Amino acid sequence: MIWLGWRQQRTEALIALAIVAALAALLIPTGISMSSAVHHESASAFAARFSSLGNLIAWLTLIPGLIGVLLAAPFVLALEHGTYRLDWTQSVPRRRWVATKLGLSAASAIVAAGVLLLLLTWWREPFVELQGRVAPAVYDSEGTVVFAYTLVALALATAIGAVWRRAVPALAVGLVLYVGARVFVDTWLRERLVAADTAVWSVNHKAPNLDKTWILEQFPADGHGAHIPNYSCQVGAGGACALPTLHHGFIHAVYQPASHFWSLQLTETAIFGAIAAALLCFAGWWTRNRVA
Amino acid sequence: MSALRTEGLGKRYGGSAWALRDCSIEIPEGSVTALLGPNGAGKSTLLEMAVGLLEPSAGTIEVLGHSPWEEAEEMLPRIGFVAQDHPLHARFSLGEMIEYGQRLNPSFDVRLAERRLGRIGAAPEHKVGKLSGGQQSQLALTLALAKRPELLLLDEPVAALDPRARREFLATTVEAVAETGMTVVLSSHIVADLERICDHIVILSGSRQMLAGPIEEILARHRLLTGPRSDARTVSRVHQVIRESHTPRQTTLLVRADGHVYDSCWTPREVDLEEIVLAYLGYGELEDRCDEEAYA
Amino acid sequence: MIEFHIQSHSGVPSYLQIAQQVRQAIRLGILAPGDKLPTVKQVVAAVAINPNTVLKAYRELDREGLVDGRRGVGTFVAEGVVALASDDVDSLRRSLGRWVAEARAAGLDDENMSALLADTLQPQGKLRVA
Repeated sequence: MIWLGWRQQRTEALIALAIVAALAALLIPTGISMSSAVHHESASAFAARFSSLGNLIAWLTLIPGLIGVLLAAPFVLALEHGTYRLDWTQSVPRRRWVATKLGLSAASAIVAAGVLLLLLTWWREPFVELQGRVAPAVYDSEGTVVFAYTLVALALATAIGAVWRRAVPALAVGLVLYVGARVFVDTWLRERLVAADTAVWSVNHKAPNLDKTWILEQFPADGHGAHIPNYSCQVGAGGACALPTLHHGFIHAVYQPASHFWSLQLTETAIFGAIAAALLCFAGWWTRNRVA
Repeated sequence: MSALRTEGLGKRYGGSAWALRDCSIEIPEGSVTALLGPNGAGKSTLLEMAVGLLEPSAGTIEVLGHSPWEEAEEMLPRIGFVAQDHPLHARFSLGEMIEYGQRLNPSFDVRLAERRLGRIGAAPEHKVGKLSGGQQSQLALTLALAKRPELLLLDEPVAALDPRARREFLATTVEAVAETGMTVVLSSHIVADLERICDHIVILSGSRQMLAGPIEEILARHRLLTGPRSDARTVSRVHQVIRESHTPRQTTLLVRADGHVYDSCWTPREVDLEEIVLAYLGYGELEDRCDEEAYA
Repeated sequence: MIEFHIQSHSGVPSYLQIAQQVRQAIRLGILAPGDKLPTVKQVVAAVAINPNTVLKAYRELDREGLVDGRRGVGTFVAEGVVALASDDVDSLRRSLGRWVAEARAAGLDDENMSALLADTLQPQGKLRVA
């Protein structure tokens, strides 16, 4: 059965590998020049040269979704083409067929995510040195969330495909839902996952160093905490807000410090991981019991 | 010992549409049974329940002594099944299909498979998706036969084949029966050819069972009665009238005779199988219409 | 070796056709005493029919004493079974040819001739020739 599962997955796994390899071919040359530059050049010079590349990373966050959805294809295609009816009458009980195929696709997803993670973490190292890793755009490509994202994309496409049994629409819808879920988490949920820190300082004092943190919001307030309207922040070197025109009052900053990185990561990983597991179990249950 | 036995077997798909209803048949070991009926009569449903692909909604089914849905693992190695659309892994090569059969079945006769595939005229490297319809049918049959099953279930296996391929397919199947005493259930909506291959018959129509039993017995019990124009009432009191037809001067009845036909008005004649099958298929339609009228 | 030909829709059951063909072969000397009949498997492979049909035919012939079924070895034409003398066959064929010519001259077609022959073999009451 493992032979069959792998043989049916071979093509998709190779495509996933090709995607990662193509990405590597693109990133490795720049990565090498960046890692040498970060030690020899100043921060501003580095930023001038490479910041546009750094913004590219935001698009790379789609790749775990693509790979996950791709690896769901063999399972759904087997259902669409009816070859599962051949397999199920070859002395392989449904239970084992479902478990092996889902298990193999999950394992492939984890391996692909791992390779991707190594590649992206290595490449981003210079940026992390300069900007820290908590900021949203960076965060997605570092740490354990990459595994969870890939698995969720896989699970979404698989679950939809188990019910719909048509590969192209199921994969497309899965990808769309994945993007939707990621947008939701990135813009709304993540900030609330772990309690943020708050810093308050008087306008007449030196601002704290908020470098390499993820600033959620900053605003000036009076001694009682009421917002002062009509202000414009001048963001200083540490990312903190400075208001030269204001002479009384305080500035509040709500932010996630670098030390929260791992608790944010692990919480998000756990949530997505649980969703992925639930969806995969559903796909397995549905296929075993409701498919003829 | 029966290879397959059902009692009141039925299958319903959500709502009230019964694909098969109240089916009670017994297929003895070593027999070759024809499962006849028009499309939609429930033949595929019956076979899929026998092989564990569908769960029965009502009644019981027992195959080689086991319940297919619950004890699939014990039973599947002993059963060969070729579905109507004979799904195959299109991206695999022929050689890989043999490996597939070997790895997914506890016992698989590789030499037999290779020998048969050699005869269908395709090399081991050919992709399954590129084979002709006839070759694919033969491949599906080969996979089932190489398991050396005790029971072989074939769902419309020859529908897509030309006459020569059909003859070869049937010849191979019967050869295997001669060799191993395998039981075969062969569904079809074509009656010709089946009389020489099969010794048992099951007729389904409108999701119901019309007739089931050994062909010899059926031929012995059915008679065509011809006589002067009259109604069938006197006869139907004693025997079951399956079909009646009238001309201005003559009445012809096809009856299932429980015992001898003594009435001197009627001349009894033997009937061939095709005639009997057609009569029962029409009988099914007639019953349905009567039901409809009764409930109208 | 004898070759069988089965006609599906002749109205004669397959096993009877096989038995008839064996009897015919013995009569015409194609099969001699001691000759081995094809095995069930061989027959079935050549002519796609149910194996039980062949078994039934052979059993029938065994009962008539025309063949001997020896378990594990095969089925053989029984000793002492006599073919028709070829002279007899030739002379019968010639006289049959003369009768056919006579019947044709009287206006009978092939069908009428067959009906007359069938009725002579198994009389069934008044026969009307159309």
